[in-house]
Amino acid sequence: MIYLDNAATTRPLAGAVAEAETYLKELYFNPSARYHGGAEVSRMLSRAREFLVGAVADPAEFELIFTSCGTEADDQAIFSAARRGNAVTTAGEHAAVFESYKALKNRGVEPRFAPILSDGRVDEAALLSLVDEKTSLVSVVHVNNETGAVNDIASLAKKVKQKNPRTVFLSDGVQAFGKIPVRLTKEIDFYSVSAHKIGGVKGTGALIRRKGCTVLAPHIFGGGQEGGMRSGTENTFGIACFLHAAQAKFALLRADGERLLALRERLWSLLDHALFTRISPEDGSPYILTVSAEGLRGEILQRELWDMGVAVGTGSACSSKKPFSRVIEACGYGEKTLYGVLRMSFSPETTAEEIEHAAEAVNAAVRARREA
Amino acid sequence: MEKVIIIRYAEIHLKGKNRGYFERVFSVNLEKSLKGIRHELRRMSGRYLVAAFAEEDAEEIERRIARVFGVHSYSRGYLTESDMESIVAAATRVCPQTGTFKVDTHRGDKKYPLTSMQLNAEVGAKLLEAYPALKVDVHTPEGCVYLDIRDGGKTLVFGSFEAGANGMPVGTSGKGLLLISGGIDSPVAGYMMAKRGMNVSYLHFHSYPYTNEQAKDKVVTLARILSRYTGEGSLMTVSVTHIQEEIHKKCAAELNVTLLRRFMFRIAERIAKKTGAQCLITGESLGQVASQTIEGMTSSNAVVTLPVLRPLVGFDKEEIIVRAKQIGTFETSVLPYEDCCTVFLPEFPAIKPKLSFIEAEEGKLDVASLVEEAVGTLERIAF
Repeated sequence: MIYLDNAATTRPLAGAVAEAETYLKELYFNPSARYHGGAEVSRMLSRAREFLVGAVADPAEFELIFTSCGTEADDQAIFSAARRGNAVTTAGEHAAVFESYKALKNRGVEPRFAPILSDGRVDEAALLSLVDEKTSLVSVVHVNNETGAVNDIASLAKKVKQKNPRTVFLSDGVQAFGKIPVRLTKEIDFYSVSAHKIGGVKGTGALIRRKGCTVLAPHIFGGGQEGGMRSGTENTFGIACFLHAAQAKFALLRADGERLLALRERLWSLLDHALFTRISPEDGSPYILTVSAEGLRGEILQRELWDMGVAVGTGSACSSKKPFSRVIEACGYGEKTLYGVLRMSFSPETTAEEIEHAAEAVNAAVRARREA
Repeated sequence: MEKVIIIRYAEIHLKGKNRGYFERVFSVNLEKSLKGIRHELRRMSGRYLVAAFAEEDAEEIERRIARVFGVHSYSRGYLTESDMESIVAAATRVCPQTGTFKVDTHRGDKKYPLTSMQLNAEVGAKLLEAYPALKVDVHTPEGCVYLDIRDGGKTLVFGSFEAGANGMPVGTSGKGLLLISGGIDSPVAGYMMAKRGMNVSYLHFHSYPYTNEQAKDKVVTLARILSRYTGEGSLMTVSVTHIQEEIHKKCAAELNVTLLRRFMFRIAERIAKKTGAQCLITGESLGQVASQTIEGMTSSNAVVTLPVLRPLVGFDKEEIIVRAKQIGTFETSVLPYEDCCTVFLPEFPAIKPKLSFIEAEEGKLDVASLVEEAVGTLERIAF
């Protein structure tokens, strides 16, 4: 199986699984326990916290709260910060943010959605025009999970704070963390991350927050773990796994990025340009190439490709009323393009050989369907 | 005094000489429905008794019995000796402690020394002694204590009648093959035929990769729910992908659905004959969609010789939904796993297709080999 759906989830790294096993089989102690075993697990949590924050921010300024996933991190930040007035985000957000914003309406906060450009980046001027003195929160996804477009969150956050210094700034960093260089600036208040997109396991995420930002409120109450911000016994094996995966990814971040950029462009050059429209921008994440087989159904191609030994993503789910992606639609594409979206996403484990085979399969599947 | 659940059966008493056969099937079905729960099933003068069960299983037993076709009603109560003391002891347990009540005696043992009226009065008086807050109301009582005096010095004492699923024991009315989709109607159609005693097996048509595996899983879930009533243990599936592609490529778009249904009927008949089914069952309801007109049904019937039973033909959608909710399939049926099958749906399907036009269009296809190929994709999913 050639696995090109790494933006959905990655195969856990072997080393990360081994690490997790240690915390399942031997060091299974509750980190809150006041004996040696507990302390040892607790120390691992501290190491993980320190590394994960330090990889993208100044640990003196930022700290981290472990959550069960990226969605939980986004939700906690959003419902803590958007308490009044209006909250601004983009049409290119992941559902974790988009749906939470829609839910804000029932809590008396006006959600505002800024349009995105054809590559998936937010329209900066439009975003800033939505920010006013009543804006309590702005959220901008760092890497668009459907097109791979990268938003310059540092610059956006700065401009938002210039317009309203009291506005809280959140960025969903799930597709960026451990994949592209990130440095959180003092204007960014919250940053959400997830373990299973970088070789960790599902069920572990984190919210990185600027210490100076005090709006965060707990959504799960109990034993007071995570500084009282997220009670519940920590997912210690998941966090151990996260730590291992992040260490591996950050060590080779630039080299992997360069190699995958070349592979991404190689894949695009091997695809039959008469069959596909490219949606991903060239300056986007090296980890994502989204194209459209105009007029065909991405979901059908996806199943055919699976049967041919290639796993890819789509922008669509046939179940919804509109059987295509909200985000790609917001990029301004017509129906024919929207139906045919295929997202191929990579990991540092992806090889050049796999790319060659995948390109062949994708071309063949689309040609066969065009001729059918 | 023994704790029992009393089961009365529905139409079996109508069957003269076949009665023994119907009763055997019925008791086998009851046993099957109670599989996995410790119990004893006994005959007792035209009734069945479930006994020797643990108190905590009683509700689950009742739930399962309520789904067995042929059960007219059931009651939780006691089997006791027919002496006054034992009857009163049991009656005290099923009797409400406050409000109004009456005692209602059925004297099956005509040699019993007291008449029904005497029994009502005597037992009633003892219960009033036991529960001073009780009052008698023989016309509209809030609670009731039923005494059923049987031959052999035994009496059944219970407090209520719960309605069963009625109908006939599954397996006493032949075998049918249900064409099951992921929708609301077909499970209800299968339920209704099973209720008349038919053994129902299931056939589902999919069009992978146009339809996804989740859509198939949904049908498996529906079939499993339906099987609580039918007892069937597997779902057969057949792929019609190639047929749909061929129709789409070669035939008039407005006939897509009409032609596909003719193929489905042909395939179903082949599989029915192979598996011993004597008829096809569909969830069609007259006029519900373009293919469910009398012309549409005629065109489908024309390609098979087996009878096609359409138990919902005269039902409104609303009526079908009410039944689907009662059966427990509705919530699954409305799960949004619709598929990409819609790529084949014409914008304006033919509502009253002429048979001559249908046959002309179908003539463009190699019907026999397409049917053969589809039958070759038959899979059986056991659950």
